[in-house]
Formats: sequence, C-alpha cells, structure tokens
Amino acid sequence: MSDHIDSPDQTVSIPVAAEHDLLRLIGSGSAGDVWLARNSVGIYRAVKVIFRKSFPWAKPYEDEFNGLLKFEALSRQHDGLVDVLQIGGNPTADYFYYVMELGDDIHTGQKIDPDFYQPRTLAHDLTERKQLSVGECIRLGAPICSALGLLHRHGLIHRDVKPANIIFVNGFPKLVDAGLVTEMFKTRSRVGTEGYIAPEGPGTARADIYGLGKVLYEISTGYDRNKYPELPAEMGTLAATRDLVQFNKIVLKACRANPRLRYLNTDEMTSDLLGFQFYQPGPFENITYKGSQSHAGWVYLAGLLAAAGIIVFLLFYTLLHLLHQT
Amino acid sequence: MSSTAWPTEDFIPTRYSLLSRLQDWEDQASWQDFFNTYWRLIYAVALKSGLTDAEAQDVVQETILSVAKNIQKFKHDPALGSFKGWLRNLARWRITDQLRKRTRSEALPANVADDGAHGHEGHAAEAQNPADLEAVWEDEWRTNLIRVALENVKRTVKEEHYQIFDLYVIKQWPADQVARTLEVNIGKIYLIKYRVGALVKKEIRRLETRETGST
Repeated sequence: MSDHIDSPDQTVSIPVAAEHDLLRLIGSGSAGDVWLARNSVGIYRAVKVIFRKSFPWAKPYEDEFNGLLKFEALSRQHDGLVDVLQIGGNPTADYFYYVMELGDDIHTGQKIDPDFYQPRTLAHDLTERKQLSVGECIRLGAPICSALGLLHRHGLIHRDVKPANIIFVNGFPKLVDAGLVTEMFKTRSRVGTEGYIAPEGPGTARADIYGLGKVLYEISTGYDRNKYPELPAEMGTLAATRDLVQFNKIVLKACRANPRLRYLNTDEMTSDLLGFQFYQPGPFENITYKGSQSHAGWVYLAGLLAAAGIIVFLLFYTLLHLLHQT
Repeated sequence: MSSTAWPTEDFIPTRYSLLSRLQDWEDQASWQDFFNTYWRLIYAVALKSGLTDAEAQDVVQETILSVAKNIQKFKHDPALGSFKGWLRNLARWRITDQLRKRTRSEALPANVADDGAHGHEGHAAEAQNPADLEAVWEDEWRTNLIRVALENVKRTVKEEHYQIFDLYVIKQWPADQVARTLEVNIGKIYLIKYRVGALVKKEIRRLETRETGST
C-alpha cells in the first residue's frame, strides 16, 4: 500500500490502487488527488487518494476514513450520490483511496478517451452557460437535495456542496467529494468553500442546505454567489420572470442567515422543489414582460369580439330572414 | 466632486482596529477582510491608470504585499498622513512599477537599466500626473465606500427587502415593475426604499466617522 511507482511523465508519484491502473491525474483537492483509472476488465473509474500528510494530525485523517466507510454503503442507494465502488488502504497508512464511477467527459459523455478526458462538473457547465432555466435548476437541485437528505438521515454531512462537487453521470447530476463527508458534529480542520459556507459555519445539515441554496442561486440567476440575494436586471419573458421569482423563494428559504429560519430539513426543501408550480400564462397576459410589451392579449381579445360580432350578426340575419319568410 | 459631500479622510472601514490586527501576519481573517475591502479600489485605480486587467491584478497583489511588508511602520497619526494617503502611495508606486515593466519589455535589452528600486523612493516613471491619480483615487475611494456600505447593509436586512431595494434603487427598475415582478404592494417598495436607504446612509456616516479616527 505504501509503495509508489514513479510516473515517467509526471513529477508526482503514482499511488497503488488494487486492480486499477492509475492513468492520469485529473483533479487535486485540499486532502488528496483524483486519478483517472482503468480496472482489470478495462472499465474507466475515478480514484481519489487521500494523503495522511494533508492532515495536521491523525484524528481528522481517521475521521475521514470512518466517514468514507459509512458513505460507501449509502452511496449506491441514491442516484444523486456518486457510487463508491471500492475502498483501499487503512487509516494507519500513508494514504487510503476509494474507487468511484467516472463522471461524464465534457465532450463525449461516457465515451471515455483517457488521453483527453475532462470531467464534466456543474462548475464547468457554468463557464459555458452562466444561467440555467428554472426547470433545469429543479432537475438538478431536487436529486442533489434528496441525496443530501439520505446522508443526513444517516448522521452524515457533506460540508462542501458547490458546483465543482456536482458531476454528471450519463447526464444525471451526482454529488461527489465523499472525502469531505463526515459524521455530524465531528470537527474537521479543512472544510467548505468561501461563499457556500453558512454564516454559522459548516458541520450541520442546515449548513449543507445553505450550500445547496447558494448553488441554486448561482445557476438560477447567473450571478456569483457573493452577489446573493441580488436578482438579475434582465429576467426575460413573463413566464421566465415569474418562475424565477417563485424559485427565488426556495433559494431564500435555503439561504437564510439564521439557520432556524431555513428549511427544517432536506425533505421539506425537496418537496418544495418537486412541487414547484410553473407559471401558466393566461390568454390575456402579455407574452413579454420588460420593455416594449406585446399586445398579443389585446389582439386575442379583439379577435374574440370580432368572432362574437359575426355570430350575433349571422343569428340576427337568420332571424330576420325567418321572420320575413313567415 | 464636492469635498463637502464626502469626507476627505479614510472613510472606508479603515478601521484602525483592523490595521492593528494586520500586524499579525497569521491573522488570516483580518487579512481577508482587508483584501475584500480594498482590492476593488486598487484594481479600479490601476485600470484607470491605463493598465490591463492582468497588470491591474498584479498591482492589487503587489500593493497588498507592500501593505504586509510595511504595515508595522504605519502609524495612525494625522500629522504623518492618513491611511488613505499611505495606501494611495503604495498603489501608485506599484502602478508605476507595472508601467516601467511594460516600458522595459518594449525597449531593447541593451537599454534595460534595472535599478532594482521597489521601495517607496526613486520612482522616476510616474503612472500619470499625480494630481490626476489623486482625483481618480478620490473618486474610486468614494465609490468603494458606497460599495462597502451596501455590502454591510445587505448582510443585515431581510433578503427580500434588499432585493426590492436593489431592483428599484440600484438597478433602477420602475416601482410598478418591481411591484409586479416581486408580487408586492407598491407602497411597500417606497417604504423599503426609505428604510434601507436610511440604513445605507447611516452606514456611510458610520464609516465616515471612523474615517476621521474619532472612534
């Protein structure tokens, strides 16, 4: 386990993961590295390696390992969590690792070319599209919220919900960085990302809800999290505006500075996300909302009145004709 | 720009308590606070001095480093000059350094005469007319004051109220449009404008009071 193989083309040394060839370093975090790997039957996986040296002392390193053991069992129970398939090493060694399903490539999805693979994360998507529609926000937010709920019900918290920790597998969003998952109320020295951390600090279920709220704020408004709670100056059509304003209510409840005013739990928030009522425009409402407003409603009304007039005229004419005949 | 409308001293939360905390290089929270408060000011002045985005970012970094190196020497004594003036000088020198680097890279190698001067003295190539830079600094300092006051108020008021204030006052939507969009009574829009506006003014006054060093 402690053996290292020197990589011919990289300055880092490659850790050893049983039955996996570690091909290329694809990410680095505060506690460890993520490698693109191929298992013994040729399936590509992601392997995260957590180094003991990244921790000031043994306790948080051991806590990380123990949190991972609990997470591993849960990960395959929910589609919104990345599957952890194998754990190797132990907390007394220089490092331990875990093997995960591999996220989509930014261009080719699950068709992996190891030489060019680039993981698709929500953070990457936001570099190309700043703002998602409310429908897309719900399709992304609901499974992640529900996945957090599963963790919370089992006494685990994520501690670092952010766009970079949401990947896509076959286009479906999943929460990653199980390395940060830990048992509730245990202290960790290295947690969270500025702007997604709740004012009271990380380490509780409601702090995870706050982080998710900030993610939803960013993707729904296209604004940086630090602009919260500002709304965009341009909101588009009437339907888009109404949907955004309603969705904003969910975001605000998730991101309340006072944790007691936030969603009580993820079930409550998931329920609001899944029960979201999209705006249905009525026939007399304007099609656009800002600037020069469309007169479609008035045109529709005029058409109706004209049709009614023609019908009345025809009825009147027929009646006159009948009276004349009799 | 009327000097009666705005104070001429250090009005951003110069916070002499913050400056004293900066003496401790290990105090990351205070350094983050300092960076958050002043980076935009330095960056904006650097841009207005003719630097590119990348060069302006370098100026921010170098100025903050200069503050770190020299904060021990800074004494809050009006007779010796204000913090605002001290920071302005540090930023100006770094801007001048950037312009000098640009000049060097455009010159022939034989002409390169690196005197190695990175201290406070010996800056032959000024960023621009010092009076102009002072005016830009004043302008940006005031802009930054409002930005900091808004940020501080944003954290203290109800989120919905800030959204109304932001759309109506800052983004300048018509009141009826804000009311229609956010589904609130138009009277509430005016009330929130008044209340949040009062808080912003109060915050600006608070920062101004600190600026004079009377706290």
